[in-house]
Amino acid sequence: MKPNENAGNKSVPCSDPQDFEASLRVVATLPAPDGLSDRVRARLRSTPRTARILEWPAAFRNDSAWMRSAAAAAIAFVVAGGGWGVYSRVQPNKVIAMPPHVAAPGGFSNAGAMRTPQTVNGPVLEHPANAPAVPAASPVKSPAPQVIEMPARKDKPSVPASKPDLPQPK
Amino acid sequence: MSTGQAVFAGWMEIPKGAVDENARQHAEEQALAALVDEYATTLYRVAFSVLRNAADAEDAVQEAFLRVLRHRDRLDEVRDRRVWLIRIVWNIVLDRKRRAKTRPETDDVQELARVLPAGGLSADERAMAAQHHAHVLSCVDRLPPKERQVIVLSAFEELSSVEIASVLGITESSVRSRLFRARNLMAGLLNHSRSLR
Repeated sequence: MKPNENAGNKSVPCSDPQDFEASLRVVATLPAPDGLSDRVRARLRSTPRTARILEWPAAFRNDSAWMRSAAAAAIAFVVAGGGWGVYSRVQPNKVIAMPPHVAAPGGFSNAGAMRTPQTVNGPVLEHPANAPAVPAASPVKSPAPQVIEMPARKDKPSVPASKPDLPQPK
Repeated sequence: MSTGQAVFAGWMEIPKGAVDENARQHAEEQALAALVDEYATTLYRVAFSVLRNAADAEDAVQEAFLRVLRHRDRLDEVRDRRVWLIRIVWNIVLDRKRRAKTRPETDDVQELARVLPAGGLSADERAMAAQHHAHVLSCVDRLPPKERQVIVLSAFEELSSVEIASVLGITESSVRSRLFRARNLMAGLLNHSRSLR
Protein backbone atom coordinates (compact mmCIF):
# COMPACT_ATOMS: atom_id res chain seq x y z
CA MET A 1 0.00 0.00 0.00
CA LYS A 2 1.30 3.38 -0.90
CA PRO A 3 1.33 5.85 1.91
CA ASN A 4 -0.85 8.41 0.17
CA GLU A 5 -3.56 6.03 -0.86
CA ASN A 6 -5.33 6.05 2.44
CA ALA A 7 -6.18 9.70 2.82
CA GLY A 8 -8.85 9.11 5.41
CA ASN A 9 -6.59 7.48 7.92
CA LYS A 10 -4.48 10.04 9.71
CA SER A 11 -2.01 7.54 11.04
CA VAL A 12 -0.71 6.56 7.63
CA PRO A 13 2.44 8.35 6.61
CA CYS A 14 2.41 10.64 3.62
CA SER A 15 5.23 11.36 1.25
CA ASP A 16 4.14 14.86 0.27
CA PRO A 17 6.16 17.41 2.23
CA GLN A 18 3.16 19.70 2.39
CA ASP A 19 1.22 17.05 4.27
CA PHE A 20 3.35 17.32 7.34
CA GLU A 21 0.44 18.93 9.09
CA ALA A 22 -1.28 15.56 9.02
CA SER A 23 1.32 14.29 11.43
CA LEU A 24 0.83 17.27 13.69
CA ARG A 25 -2.89 16.73 13.52
CA VAL A 26 -2.46 13.12 14.55
CA VAL A 27 -0.60 14.22 17.63
CA ALA A 28 -3.14 16.96 18.26
CA THR A 29 -6.03 14.49 18.20
CA LEU A 30 -4.52 11.75 20.29
CA PRO A 31 -6.96 10.30 22.76
CA ALA A 32 -6.28 11.08 26.36
CA PRO A 33 -5.38 8.12 28.56
CA ASP A 34 -8.21 6.44 30.37
CA GLY A 35 -9.06 7.83 33.76
CA LEU A 36 -7.14 11.06 33.26
CA SER A 37 -9.93 13.20 34.67
CA ASP A 38 -10.36 10.93 37.66
CA ARG A 39 -6.68 11.04 38.47
CA VAL A 40 -6.59 14.82 38.17
CA ARG A 41 -9.62 15.19 40.40
CA ALA A 42 -8.17 12.79 42.95
CA ARG A 43 -4.99 14.80 43.08
CA LEU A 44 -6.92 18.02 43.47
CA ARG A 45 -8.86 16.50 46.35
CA SER A 46 -5.69 15.35 48.06
CA THR A 47 -4.17 18.80 47.86
CA PRO A 48 -4.78 20.87 51.00
CA ARG A 49 -7.13 23.73 50.32
CA THR A 50 -5.86 26.15 52.88
CA ALA A 51 -2.42 27.55 52.98
CA ARG A 52 -0.20 25.68 55.36
CA ILE A 53 0.94 27.79 58.26
CA LEU A 54 4.41 27.05 59.46
CA GLU A 55 4.72 27.17 63.19
CA TRP A 56 7.81 28.05 65.12
CA PRO A 57 9.33 25.32 67.22
CA ALA A 58 8.43 25.42 70.88
CA ALA A 59 11.79 26.88 71.80
CA PHE A 60 11.19 29.85 69.49
CA ARG A 61 7.72 30.72 70.69
CA ASN A 62 6.96 33.97 72.39
CA ASP A 63 6.54 32.48 75.84
CA SER A 64 10.17 31.38 76.09
CA ALA A 65 12.00 34.35 77.53
CA TRP A 66 15.43 32.79 77.54
CA MET A 67 15.33 32.34 73.78
CA ARG A 68 14.47 35.97 73.29
CA SER A 69 17.28 36.97 75.61
CA ALA A 70 19.70 34.79 73.68
CA ALA A 71 18.54 36.27 70.39
CA ALA A 72 18.93 39.80 71.75
CA ALA A 73 22.40 38.96 73.02
CA ALA A 74 23.36 37.52 69.66
CA ILE A 75 22.15 40.65 67.88
CA ALA A 76 24.04 42.88 70.30
CA PHE A 77 27.17 40.76 69.86
CA VAL A 78 26.96 41.00 66.07
CA VAL A 79 26.44 44.76 66.17
CA ALA A 80 29.31 45.28 68.61
CA GLY A 81 31.58 42.99 66.65
CA GLY A 82 30.85 44.85 63.47
CA GLY A 83 31.56 48.17 65.10
CA TRP A 84 34.82 46.89 66.53
CA GLY A 85 35.79 45.55 63.12
CA VAL A 86 35.31 48.94 61.56
CA TYR A 87 37.15 50.70 64.38
CA SER A 88 40.11 48.33 64.24
CA ARG A 89 40.59 49.01 60.55
CA VAL A 90 40.53 52.78 60.89
CA GLN A 91 43.22 53.67 63.46
CA PRO A 92 43.87 57.35 64.25
CA ASN A 93 47.65 57.07 63.63
CA LYS A 94 47.03 55.66 60.19
CA VAL A 95 45.12 58.69 59.04
CA ILE A 96 46.98 60.36 56.20
CA ALA A 97 48.17 63.80 57.19
CA MET A 98 47.04 66.34 54.72
CA PRO A 99 49.57 69.00 53.65
CA PRO A 100 48.85 72.42 55.03
CA HIS A 101 47.30 74.87 52.72
CA VAL A 102 49.75 77.47 51.54
CA ALA A 103 48.35 80.82 50.69
CA ALA A 104 49.02 81.74 47.12
CA PRO A 105 51.19 84.83 46.58
CA GLY A 106 49.72 87.99 45.21
CA GLY A 107 46.64 87.88 47.37
CA PHE A 108 44.79 85.53 45.10
CA SER A 109 42.76 82.68 46.44
CA ASN A 110 44.14 79.23 45.87
CA ALA A 111 40.63 77.98 45.17
CA GLY A 112 41.03 75.17 47.63
CA ALA A 113 44.02 73.67 45.85
CA MET A 114 46.00 71.13 47.83
CA ARG A 115 49.35 72.55 46.81
CA THR A 116 50.36 75.81 45.24
CA PRO A 117 53.75 76.32 43.59
CA GLN A 118 56.34 78.52 45.23
CA THR A 119 56.58 81.39 42.85
CA VAL A 120 58.92 84.39 42.88
CA ASN A 121 57.41 87.36 44.56
CA GLY A 122 56.52 90.12 42.18
CA PRO A 123 57.20 93.84 42.63
CA VAL A 124 55.56 95.44 45.57
CA LEU A 125 54.35 98.99 45.24
CA GLU A 126 55.27 101.13 48.18
CA HIS A 127 52.42 103.57 47.89
CA PRO A 128 49.90 102.14 45.47
CA ALA A 129 47.19 104.62 46.42
CA ASN A 130 49.37 107.80 46.05
CA ALA A 131 51.42 106.66 43.10
CA PRO A 132 50.87 108.65 39.90
CA ALA A 133 49.64 106.95 36.81
CA VAL A 134 52.48 105.07 35.29
CA PRO A 135 52.99 105.71 31.61
CA ALA A 136 52.44 102.69 29.49
CA ALA A 137 55.83 102.88 27.83
CA SER A 138 57.83 103.17 31.04
CA PRO A 139 59.86 100.07 31.58
CA VAL A 140 59.05 98.07 34.60
CA LYS A 141 61.91 97.82 36.98
CA SER A 142 62.86 94.27 37.21
CA PRO A 143 63.80 92.90 40.55
CA ALA A 144 67.42 92.63 41.43
CA PRO A 145 68.99 89.45 40.17
CA GLN A 146 69.37 86.85 42.80
CA VAL A 147 72.88 86.02 43.74
CA ILE A 148 73.39 82.49 44.63
CA GLU A 149 76.18 82.07 47.04
CA MET A 150 78.06 78.89 46.71
CA PRO A 151 79.54 77.41 49.83
CA ALA A 152 83.30 77.90 50.12
CA ARG A 153 85.43 74.90 49.41
CA LYS A 154 87.56 73.82 52.28
CA ASP A 155 90.41 72.17 50.39
CA LYS A 156 91.30 75.34 48.53
CA PRO A 157 91.70 78.65 50.29
CA SER A 158 89.61 81.23 48.73
CA VAL A 159 91.45 84.13 47.16
CA PRO A 160 90.06 87.46 48.23
CA ALA A 161 89.33 90.03 45.55
CA SER A 162 91.52 92.65 47.20
CA LYS A 163 94.56 92.05 49.31
CA PRO A 164 94.89 94.98 51.68
CA ASP A 165 97.40 93.21 53.91
CA LEU A 166 100.04 92.82 51.22
CA PRO A 167 102.34 95.72 50.47
CA GLN A 168 101.48 97.43 47.25
CA PRO A 169 104.29 97.59 44.64
CA LYS A 170 105.47 101.02 43.99
CA MET B 1 -14.22 33.34 67.54
CA SER B 2 -13.25 31.31 64.52
CA THR B 3 -15.49 28.82 62.77
CA GLY B 4 -13.61 25.83 64.06
CA GLN B 5 -13.81 27.04 67.63
CA ALA B 6 -17.52 27.60 67.32
CA VAL B 7 -18.14 24.14 65.96
CA PHE B 8 -15.92 22.23 68.33
CA ALA B 9 -16.47 24.24 71.48
CA GLY B 10 -20.22 24.54 71.53
CA TRP B 11 -21.77 21.71 69.53
CA MET B 12 -24.98 23.49 70.21
CA GLU B 13 -25.09 25.84 67.33
CA ILE B 14 -23.37 26.00 63.98
CA PRO B 15 -22.56 29.54 62.95
CA LYS B 16 -24.01 30.73 59.69
CA GLY B 17 -20.55 31.60 58.38
CA ALA B 18 -19.50 27.97 58.60
CA VAL B 19 -22.42 26.88 56.46
CA ASP B 20 -21.63 29.54 53.90
CA GLU B 21 -17.99 28.53 53.85
CA ASN B 22 -18.83 24.88 53.30
CA ALA B 23 -21.27 25.75 50.56
CA ARG B 24 -18.75 27.99 48.87
CA GLN B 25 -16.08 25.31 49.06
CA HIS B 26 -18.47 22.73 47.66
CA ALA B 27 -19.35 25.05 44.78
CA GLU B 28 -15.68 25.60 44.04
CA GLU B 29 -15.05 21.88 43.97
CA GLN B 30 -17.92 21.39 41.58
CA ALA B 31 -16.69 24.14 39.28
CA LEU B 32 -13.18 22.75 39.29
CA ALA B 33 -14.41 19.23 38.61
CA ALA B 34 -16.42 20.54 35.67
CA LEU B 35 -13.30 22.25 34.32
CA VAL B 36 -11.35 19.02 34.63
CA ASP B 37 -14.03 17.02 32.85
CA GLU B 38 -14.31 19.54 30.06
CA TYR B 39 -10.73 20.48 29.35
CA ALA B 40 -8.43 17.75 30.66
CA THR B 41 -8.29 16.03 27.28
CA THR B 42 -7.52 19.23 25.40
CA LEU B 43 -4.81 20.15 27.86
CA TYR B 44 -3.35 16.67 27.61
CA ARG B 45 -3.10 16.94 23.83
CA VAL B 46 -1.44 20.32 24.03
CA ALA B 47 1.01 19.00 26.58
CA PHE B 48 1.73 15.86 24.59
CA SER B 49 2.34 17.81 21.38
CA VAL B 50 5.29 19.49 23.07
CA LEU B 51 6.54 16.90 25.54
CA ARG B 52 5.73 13.76 23.48
CA ASN B 53 5.54 11.61 26.52
CA ALA B 54 2.27 10.44 28.00
CA ALA B 55 3.37 10.47 31.62
CA ASP B 56 4.96 13.90 31.34
CA ALA B 57 1.90 15.27 29.58
CA GLU B 58 -0.42 13.96 32.27
CA ASP B 59 1.81 15.40 34.94
CA ALA B 60 1.70 18.78 33.21
CA VAL B 61 -2.10 18.63 33.11
CA GLN B 62 -2.24 17.91 36.81
CA GLU B 63 0.12 20.77 37.54
CA ALA B 64 -2.02 23.09 35.44
CA PHE B 65 -5.11 22.24 37.46
CA LEU B 66 -3.20 22.63 40.68
CA ARG B 67 -2.37 26.15 39.58
CA VAL B 68 -6.01 26.72 38.86
CA LEU B 69 -6.82 25.48 42.34
CA ARG B 70 -4.35 27.95 43.79
CA HIS B 71 -5.94 30.83 41.89
CA ARG B 72 -9.52 29.66 42.16
CA ASP B 73 -10.55 32.97 43.68
CA ARG B 74 -9.92 34.67 40.36
CA LEU B 75 -11.74 32.05 38.34
CA ASP B 76 -14.80 34.24 37.93
CA GLU B 77 -12.72 37.00 36.35
CA VAL B 78 -11.51 34.77 33.51
CA ARG B 79 -13.36 35.43 30.29
CA ASP B 80 -12.29 32.49 28.13
CA ARG B 81 -11.43 29.63 30.43
CA ARG B 82 -10.37 27.31 27.64
CA VAL B 83 -7.73 29.67 26.31
CA TRP B 84 -6.71 30.54 29.84
CA LEU B 85 -6.18 26.87 30.72
CA ILE B 86 -4.31 26.19 27.47
CA ARG B 87 -2.06 29.13 28.20
CA ILE B 88 -1.32 27.76 31.67
CA VAL B 89 -0.44 24.30 30.43
CA TRP B 90 1.49 25.79 27.50
CA ASN B 91 3.73 27.72 29.86
CA ILE B 92 4.21 24.65 32.00
CA VAL B 93 5.23 22.39 29.12
CA LEU B 94 7.52 25.00 27.59
CA ASP B 95 9.24 25.37 30.91
CA ARG B 96 9.63 21.62 31.27
CA LYS B 97 10.84 21.25 27.70
CA ARG B 98 13.43 23.95 28.29
CA ARG B 99 14.75 22.19 31.36
CA ALA B 100 14.66 18.68 29.94
CA LYS B 101 17.31 17.38 27.64
CA THR B 102 16.52 16.83 23.99
CA ARG B 103 14.62 13.63 23.55
CA PRO B 104 16.13 11.28 20.95
CA GLU B 105 13.99 10.48 17.95
CA THR B 106 13.92 6.77 18.77
CA ASP B 107 12.06 7.59 21.99
CA ASP B 108 9.51 9.55 20.02
CA VAL B 109 8.97 6.63 17.66
CA GLN B 110 8.41 4.19 20.49
CA GLU B 111 6.10 6.53 22.35
CA LEU B 112 4.09 7.37 19.24
CA ALA B 113 3.80 3.71 18.31
CA ARG B 114 2.45 3.09 21.78
CA VAL B 115 -0.12 5.87 21.88
CA LEU B 116 -1.25 5.92 18.25
CA PRO B 117 -4.72 4.52 17.74
CA ALA B 118 -4.75 1.21 15.92
CA GLY B 119 -7.28 2.25 13.27
CA GLY B 120 -7.24 -1.12 11.55
CA LEU B 121 -3.54 -0.94 10.79
CA SER B 122 -1.19 -3.83 11.08
CA ALA B 123 1.72 -3.72 13.43
CA ASP B 124 4.13 -2.96 10.60
CA GLU B 125 1.98 -0.13 9.32
CA ARG B 126 1.71 1.35 12.77
CA ALA B 127 5.45 1.17 13.20
CA MET B 128 5.96 2.84 9.84
CA ALA B 129 3.44 5.54 10.67
CA ALA B 130 5.08 6.19 14.01
CA GLN B 131 8.45 6.47 12.32
CA HIS B 132 7.11 8.95 9.81
CA HIS B 133 5.38 11.07 12.44
CA ALA B 134 8.50 11.05 14.57
CA HIS B 135 10.51 12.22 11.58
CA VAL B 136 8.08 15.06 10.93
CA LEU B 137 8.19 16.03 14.59
CA SER B 138 11.98 16.04 14.53
CA CYS B 139 11.78 18.48 11.60
CA VAL B 140 9.39 20.60 13.67
CA ASP B 141 11.96 20.60 16.44
CA ARG B 142 14.49 22.10 14.07
CA LEU B 143 12.31 25.14 13.39
CA PRO B 144 12.98 28.41 15.17
CA PRO B 145 11.05 28.58 18.46
CA LYS B 146 8.55 31.20 17.36
CA GLU B 147 7.59 29.34 14.20
CA ARG B 148 7.61 26.01 16.01
CA GLN B 149 5.16 27.17 18.65
CA VAL B 150 2.75 28.54 16.11
CA ILE B 151 2.80 25.48 13.91
CA VAL B 152 2.27 23.13 16.85
CA LEU B 153 -0.71 25.11 18.11
CA SER B 154 -2.16 25.50 14.62
CA ALA B 155 -2.60 21.75 14.42
CA PHE B 156 -5.30 21.98 17.07
CA GLU B 157 -8.48 22.42 15.13
CA GLU B 158 -10.30 23.76 18.12
CA LEU B 159 -7.92 26.73 18.32
CA SER B 160 -8.48 29.67 16.03
CA SER B 161 -5.73 32.05 15.06
CA VAL B 162 -7.15 34.60 17.49
CA GLU B 163 -6.94 32.06 20.29
CA ILE B 164 -3.43 31.03 19.29
CA ALA B 165 -2.47 34.70 19.41
CA SER B 166 -4.00 34.93 22.86
CA VAL B 167 -2.13 31.85 24.09
CA LEU B 168 1.20 33.10 22.75
CA GLY B 169 0.61 36.72 23.67
CA ILE B 170 1.10 38.05 20.15
CA THR B 171 -1.09 39.59 17.48
CA GLU B 172 -3.14 37.63 15.02
CA SER B 173 -1.15 38.98 12.08
CA SER B 174 2.03 37.74 13.73
CA VAL B 175 0.48 34.31 14.03
CA ARG B 176 -0.29 34.26 10.32
CA SER B 177 3.12 35.48 9.23
CA ARG B 178 4.88 33.01 11.51
CA LEU B 179 2.69 30.21 10.27
CA PHE B 180 3.53 31.10 6.67
CA ARG B 181 7.26 31.06 7.43
CA ALA B 182 6.94 27.83 9.38
CA ARG B 183 5.18 26.04 6.53
CA ASN B 184 7.84 27.13 4.05
CA LEU B 185 10.61 26.06 6.39
CA MET B 186 8.97 22.71 7.02
CA ALA B 187 8.55 22.04 3.31
CA GLY B 188 12.21 22.84 2.78
CA LEU B 189 13.32 20.60 5.63
CA LEU B 190 11.23 17.67 4.48
CA ASN B 191 12.35 18.06 0.87
CA HIS B 192 15.94 18.17 1.97
CA SER B 193 15.63 15.08 4.14
CA ARG B 194 13.84 13.22 1.36
CA SER B 195 16.57 14.06 -1.14
CA LEU B 196 19.16 12.68 1.27
CA ARG B 197 17.43 9.32 1.52
